[in-house]
Amino acid sequence: MTGTEQIVAGLEAAQVSIVASVPDTWIGRLMEGVRRSLRLRAVDVAREEEAVAVACGANLAGGRGAVLIQNAGLLNCGGVLAGLVELYHLPCFFIVSLRGDHRDPVYYHAPKGRVTEETLRAWRLPYARADRRGDLAAQVKQGVEFCVEARGPFVLLISGEDLA
Amino acid sequence: MTARKPLLDALVAMLTPRDVLVSCLGANARYLPHMAVPCPVFALCDSMGAAIPLGLGMALQRPDRHVVALEGDGSLLMSPNVLATVAAAAPPNLTMLLWVNGRYESSGGQALPAVTVDWAALARAAGLRHVARVGDVAGLREAFAATRMAGSPAVIVVDIAFDPAEAIPPYSERPDEIRARFRL
Repeated sequence: MTGTEQIVAGLEAAQVSIVASVPDTWIGRLMEGVRRSLRLRAVDVAREEEAVAVACGANLAGGRGAVLIQNAGLLNCGGVLAGLVELYHLPCFFIVSLRGDHRDPVYYHAPKGRVTEETLRAWRLPYARADRRGDLAAQVKQGVEFCVEARGPFVLLISGEDLA
Repeated sequence: MTARKPLLDALVAMLTPRDVLVSCLGANARYLPHMAVPCPVFALCDSMGAAIPLGLGMALQRPDRHVVALEGDGSLLMSPNVLATVAAAAPPNLTMLLWVNGRYESSGGQALPAVTVDWAALARAAGLRHVARVGDVAGLREAFAATRMAGSPAVIVVDIAFDPAEAIPPYSERPDEIRARFRL
């Protein structure tokens, strides 16, 4: 299986029902896999904060939502994370493309890459880097289930290499 | 122009147990715990702009329920993009009520940027077809009843009077209480 197929399988196994997304190059590739799924509903949103609220709404209505965005979009989400996800203790699972680290050939992503993990730690957001050598589907499922159990957020950082 | 409370009273009187109500922060969220709302309510006390996308997630997850999202013009001015998002997703069971008074009421009544936004035109331009604008209780009753048969997401722009002396009750429920009580 490709990494994309494993991630989609993980979302399905975790009983995610709605996947809200703003694409970048990598997330766009991942969303192509989401759209092929018969069990996931892709919701295209215009802004990353919307994706968070859509996922939370799905969770409050008895489903499971996931947010697929770039790290630039995650950096936009400080307010909604504090004022919605954390304040109301809502599950919210993120898959975030980690642009700008040493694996990313595009120079203009570098500033985001330098601050993403430090920001996650400052915001006290539980997170992990996806490990392509391991079972990606299991990592996704574990992240979703962590959110449900902890009633809070979890961020799984991916790279373009993880999707191959 | 009509005051907020009679319009909110009229809206609540039209709700049924099969509806779901999501409220933005501010006066609506502060009034609702003191009203006999017959359906589940999720009221925000922060996070401007989140009410409509929250309602969208609920509406997509539960197509058997009619979700009513209340948003203020100050909040939507921060995030008008959500109108296009809703138009694209096109849930027929989502109605958005935009309360327009030109003020950031929850933070002291400061004025919004000094321009008159044509919210109904903006909603239509974003791709929403079922759009109404009302300014009194009779208009709201007629417009809200029509949303139940719209077959598409609906927007009602509600012009309300700003009254700096309005005795809005304080927040009386904590987020954990709101979340615990919210059951569909």
